[in-house]
Amino acid sequence: MTPDLRLAATQACDVTDGCITCGDVAVALTVLDVVGADARCRDELGREETVATELVGTVQAGDRVLVHAGVAIERLAAAATGG
Amino acid sequence: MKFVDEFRNPELAQVLSREIAQLCEPNRHYKIMEVCGGHTHTIYRYGVQDHLPENIELVHGPGCPVCVIPMGRVDDGIAIAERDNVILTCFGDMMRVPGGRGSFLEANARGTDIRMVYSPLDALRIARDNPDRQVVFYAIGFETTAPSTALTILRAEAEGIDNFSVFCNHVTIIPAIKAILDSPDLRLDAFIGPGHVSTVIGCRPYEWISRDFGLPLVCAGFEPLDLLQSVYMIMKQFTEGRAEVENQYSRVVSYDGNPVALKVLANVFALRPFFEWRGLGSIAHSALQVAPKFAKYDAELRFEIPGVRVADPKACQCGEVLKGVLKPWECKVFGTACTPETPIGTCMVSSEGACAAYYNFGQYAKQRLTLEVLS
Repeated sequence: MTPDLRLAATQACDVTDGCITCGDVAVALTVLDVVGADARCRDELGREETVATELVGTVQAGDRVLVHAGVAIERLAAAATGG
Repeated sequence: MKFVDEFRNPELAQVLSREIAQLCEPNRHYKIMEVCGGHTHTIYRYGVQDHLPENIELVHGPGCPVCVIPMGRVDDGIAIAERDNVILTCFGDMMRVPGGRGSFLEANARGTDIRMVYSPLDALRIARDNPDRQVVFYAIGFETTAPSTALTILRAEAEGIDNFSVFCNHVTIIPAIKAILDSPDLRLDAFIGPGHVSTVIGCRPYEWISRDFGLPLVCAGFEPLDLLQSVYMIMKQFTEGRAEVENQYSRVVSYDGNPVALKVLANVFALRPFFEWRGLGSIAHSALQVAPKFAKYDAELRFEIPGVRVADPKACQCGEVLKGVLKPWECKVFGTACTPETPIGTCMVSSEGACAAYYNFGQYAKQRLTLEVLS
């Protein structure tokens, strides 16, 4: 089963690394496929998450986006990291 | 890890550290404030301060969204959750923030249904799955997070979900910086500007800081080399007699921000006349509320909110820490009565809070201080 990034992020709220949402931390993800206004995305550790894409316009598989709280807030250049 | 290792390269850090030291005037003390909690976390976690000359002091500002929530707003959230048939949802770190009547976790022990979510869209899904319950999202965060709340309200309207509302505590960074600059307690030389907030608002809103106050500001990324490079860029401005807004994080932040996100924010939210910030007091036009045309999604109109102002515990000095006047370990209760397990102040709750970051990762700096005292 593919690890779920959202689940991992929610659990991370309880450990030393803290809550990535509260911490204004955004993560760089790669779009796998698009379903309506949502996109299934994957991070560099292979964890997946469905994110809303309305704020960054049309995306397609292979695009890189910066994601915060389940919403893509910016497009990234191919080699950029959000970390 | 691909794309990350190069921003944590120790050899490059040493090179940057030497170059920064060469730009320092030996008899001058530099105070540089980072206003983003994520930067505070990186500084302590990777010991960034230890790579800087002793006369460059990093001061931690009010950029942790959990830390600036006043106790009264926590109590307001509990009051909503105590109503019949309500599910309150919030981000993880918010669960442990102490209010006047305890935290959300403690409220749950008394019987409320307060659930942790990763995204406001998850709160909307809970509303969709529980049509006979009222689902409220306790929204916190700066301009990085506010667009996700705005987008969720737009989706709730598009889907006709009426049992969803937002208790809005979103704040904006610019008035907080203004309040700090107006504060007589603190003299600053430069700012490290927030990274992900700037993804949304861009760099232009900071230009008045350079123009009116003559201070450099560099928007920075979140890796240790990002921060070192930002300090280098600030020092370079000093040596060249410049005070400008610069963008170190250009691989993510564009100078004009994200215009679509800004438009959505302007559509869904309105500026509050005043909002109370923990430690900074009431600041004009510093927070967002749900705009009148989306009033039916405003929890403050849907429910009766006590709105009681609760004074911070006397022993807690979060206010001074948030303004950068005190270092975390200078607080009277740091590490004794106030720890991440039993926080008294909000700065000890979120890992982006200066106190928790120092408590968890500050042992190296403390060792260094001890050695200095012994020698």
